[in-house]
Amino acid sequence: MIPRRLKLARVRLAASLLLLGALSACVGAAREPVDSLSGLGGDETVVVGRIELVPPLRKDEQKLKGLNSGSFENKVFLLADEHYRVLTDEPGMGDYAGRIEAILGKNFFVRSNSKPFFILGGMMYLDLGGQETNRAYFPGGLKVSLKPGDKAVYVGTVQYHRNEFFEITKAAIVDDYDRTNAEFRKKFGTKTPLRKALLTPVK
Amino acid sequence: MKHRIWLVLGLITLGLLAGCASSGPERDINDPTNSLVFGYVDMDDAPTSVSSAWIMQVAPPSDTPYWGLGISKGLFYNSYLPPGSYQLSKLGGSGFFAGQHEYSFPRQGNQTALRISKPGIYFLGSYKYKKVKSGMFSQAKFAIEKINKPTEAELLKRILDESSDIKDSAWGNKIRARLAQLKS
Repeated sequence: MIPRRLKLARVRLAASLLLLGALSACVGAAREPVDSLSGLGGDETVVVGRIELVPPLRKDEQKLKGLNSGSFENKVFLLADEHYRVLTDEPGMGDYAGRIEAILGKNFFVRSNSKPFFILGGMMYLDLGGQETNRAYFPGGLKVSLKPGDKAVYVGTVQYHRNEFFEITKAAIVDDYDRTNAEFRKKFGTKTPLRKALLTPVK
Repeated sequence: MKHRIWLVLGLITLGLLAGCASSGPERDINDPTNSLVFGYVDMDDAPTSVSSAWIMQVAPPSDTPYWGLGISKGLFYNSYLPPGSYQLSKLGGSGFFAGQHEYSFPRQGNQTALRISKPGIYFLGSYKYKKVKSGMFSQAKFAIEKINKPTEAELLKRILDESSDIKDSAWGNKIRARLAQLKS
């Protein structure tokens, strides 16, 4: 919850945008989207999956204003790390390094090393660039079970169910392999198989 | 010259009154589908007091989701909310030294979330403003903490005492009935 002086709103907006730019520069890189398997290193894997919101976002439910804010549209930042931990507070900049940037309802194809890692949680901007910044958080605690030698791994669709107050009431892992594999083969060809290893809850 | 002074004073008074009354979408106060929603926030530790407040309708979806709340010394209320889901969205206030402030509530994890399935009287609770430490370069933050006082009954009495519109409407009897229920 954020109090603001309206008189300084313009100055603060400019400062926020500068800060946003600075944050983009300071935060560690996201896992890079992959368009071709040819550039993949020997110890690298393409991780394939999808995030869905149930019910989906309504038009204008996400309020993004200002330069570059469109790049946050429908985007969930999945916080990922090789070391499992429980996020107990608002994530810091360091927590965003190695994140997966997933567009709601669309498959992501991201480059990763072949070591297993964990989804610690997720974040999406609900309001950005206006007078207030509002974020929604998503639960994590999911393991991505990669194995050495994996070239492409399908981890499933995470369906986050929410109520009208944007509280996440349920998270389900859905197996949508056939449809995803069809997209994978169309995108990358049939030479490399897409291994299925659905996300598993951390015990 | 005197007239001009009165005009200025009149406009100031009008402005102050407007600050105390609800704004946003409006409905007939005696509409049987109305609900009375009210609560209290203690802003003693905040940079300003509160002079405006808004509750957001989160369901059913609406093009005009923000409903204004009447404000009186920490008490906030709206007597014509239709059935739906709501949560406090914003408080606003100003002080001579502090300037104008807006206090925005989160859209997720908002402790004032309320579902109105049938018309009635709904108490959102009493809260106290609490400043939350943030870094030098971070935006100032705050939290609200639930408190026991004033009670639902104390606030309902204040609504009857301070709002003749409500007292003289269908709400008058409903509030008195609720007060009797709380007493027993």
